[in-house]
Amino acid sequence: MKYRILIADDHAVLRSGLRLLLSSTGEFEIVGEASSGIETLNLAETLQPDLILLDLSMPSLGGLDAIPTLRKLAPQSRILILTMYDEPQYLRQALKRGAHGYILKKAADSDLFSAIRAVLRGEMYIHSSMTRVLLDDMLSKSKAEQNVGAWNTLSEREQEVLRLVALGYTSTEIAEKLNLSPKTVETYRARGMEKLGLRTRAALVKFALQEGIIEEE
Amino acid sequence: MMKKIFEKFWSIAGAVSVCTKILGIVLGSTLLLGTGVIFQARAAFQATMMRLLEEQSISAARDLAARAADPILLNDLVYLQNLLDETVKNSPNVRYAFLLDPQGQIIAHTFHGGFPLALLSLNTVAATSHHHTVLIRTNEGLVWDTAVPILNRKVGIARVGVTDLSVQRVLSELTLQLGLTMLVVSVAGILVAALLTLILTRPIQELLQATREVAKGNFAVRVKRWADDELGDLADAFNQMSEQLALTENLRREREWLRRQLLEKVIASQEEERRRIARELHDSTSQNLTSLIVGLRMIEENCRQCPAQPKALELRAVASRTLEEVHELSLRLRPRILDDLGLAAALERLAAEWEARYKIPIDVAIRLNERLPGAVETAIYRIVQEALTNIVRHAQAHSASILIERRGNMLRAIIEDDGIGFDPQTRFGEHHLGLLGMRERAELLGGKLVIESAPGAGTSLLIEIPLSTLSSE
Repeated sequence: MKYRILIADDHAVLRSGLRLLLSSTGEFEIVGEASSGIETLNLAETLQPDLILLDLSMPSLGGLDAIPTLRKLAPQSRILILTMYDEPQYLRQALKRGAHGYILKKAADSDLFSAIRAVLRGEMYIHSSMTRVLLDDMLSKSKAEQNVGAWNTLSEREQEVLRLVALGYTSTEIAEKLNLSPKTVETYRARGMEKLGLRTRAALVKFALQEGIIEEE
Repeated sequence: MMKKIFEKFWSIAGAVSVCTKILGIVLGSTLLLGTGVIFQARAAFQATMMRLLEEQSISAARDLAARAADPILLNDLVYLQNLLDETVKNSPNVRYAFLLDPQGQIIAHTFHGGFPLALLSLNTVAATSHHHTVLIRTNEGLVWDTAVPILNRKVGIARVGVTDLSVQRVLSELTLQLGLTMLVVSVAGILVAALLTLILTRPIQELLQATREVAKGNFAVRVKRWADDELGDLADAFNQMSEQLALTENLRREREWLRRQLLEKVIASQEEERRRIARELHDSTSQNLTSLIVGLRMIEENCRQCPAQPKALELRAVASRTLEEVHELSLRLRPRILDDLGLAAALERLAAEWEARYKIPIDVAIRLNERLPGAVETAIYRIVQEALTNIVRHAQAHSASILIERRGNMLRAIIEDDGIGFDPQTRFGEHHLGLLGMRERAELLGGKLVIESAPGAGTSLLIEIPLSTLSSE
């Protein structure tokens, strides 16, 4: 039995190309083509395909926003994102909303088959150029955990200054608030950051949020 | 030397107020004039009085000589004594009178406490002389002593001394009165001068006040033309200047406003154009290229033995490269992610790419719960982009940081690096131009850009943009 595939992409030429390409092996059957998000939802509901090849940028309803509804309308269908977007945020969003795979269009010619097969096998497929993102996410989390407890080794003044740095005050503003010279503020800041093993303000902000030193909005 | 003295004088006189200067001039000239008059009057008076006293001395002595001749001959001592006393009594200026016989012996005199013998030798007169007067300085003042021979000295000599005591007294009185007059005149002079100063400096004060106002930017002030003099002309000129300045300022404001409008339009349309081209590249060109690649792949698959197969492979490689480039181009023009997922996602992506390309570690912390107005997102994105470009070009930084957060109705962005820093006062170079562009973008949205930096101390850029005044898109 052939796997039944729904292609959702607003680009007709690409759709026909994909149809030809996927049909050529005899493994897959293209049961439908959708050119918009709404059309994809309708076709998915009626066709209940094995796999939906989903583009993220489509008129009327973007791919990202379509995913949760697709999951509801066609719970058995696997969703493989085929997109131009190589931004980590799209990947994260797509996975968060329930996609099973993510492949870039630039790799459509080489890796599409293996991606489709992997997803149909029930695996997650992330294109190799994107896996780095997930790894970085993980690493940055474990890196931040190293500093836990270091906060208490800071002097009161250093804590005070760093808290304000994390809250987004400039050195001049902090100096005014604490009645210190900007130079002194810089010194406290540098010393405190050194102790925490942090290099930048943004890193400090993340640390402070994690440690509950400043409040999440 | 003269110059030095003048400088010294001017450092004191020049430093006091105009009021004091005028008072000084009036008081000075009054005093100078008064003192001069007093001295002149005293000198003239004294000279006249001295001549008169001398004459009085002569006339009194001659009178005495004439009247004493007979009594001396008759040896009527009582009469002589009376005559002498009368001579002294008749004029307050006559200090003494006495008569000598031809041998120089005293016949009679008016000294009560004994005759000062030294007086005898001080004056004498020849027998044929009409009279002889000498001026004697005594402890009682000047004395004009006149000796007159009585009947050619055959009978004797009459001598009369006239002092200037009363003259001195009158002179003192005169001086005192003149002094008092001068004092009164001086006081009156001061009053007049004060009034004069008030009249004179009041328009100046007003001009000063008005000038300060103009300096503060209030061009609406006008000064009154107090008088038809140079100060009045100055006031008129000042008013004209203020008017001109106000006109210029208005013109400048209008131009600035127009410039802003134009800039806003240029930026907006540039952004729109970029968005359009990026979308076109992304949606059409990229998709076509992808179709091309897929099609070529198809050809490869379908005819593995065709002579065209290697060519298809080659073309697919070219198409892939082109797709890569188009993608890059579209991203650089305007990342789709900025419109789709917002500022946070777009900046994270920008930072990640920047870090990968320039090998400078960068941390990004974005504390936003919701999407911002499109104009603000675009502005912040472009500002951060420019800031990162600056860091690469100028900062020699080891790390960089982006913090975006919302504080009340303010969006705050802090972009920092730990590079070599610079003096924010410097107004030269490309660096400054970049900053100018960033500032312009922030100000167009009613925000501001603050630079904190010093050579060797890294650079912090603070951008604040108000969110309340802008309607959400």
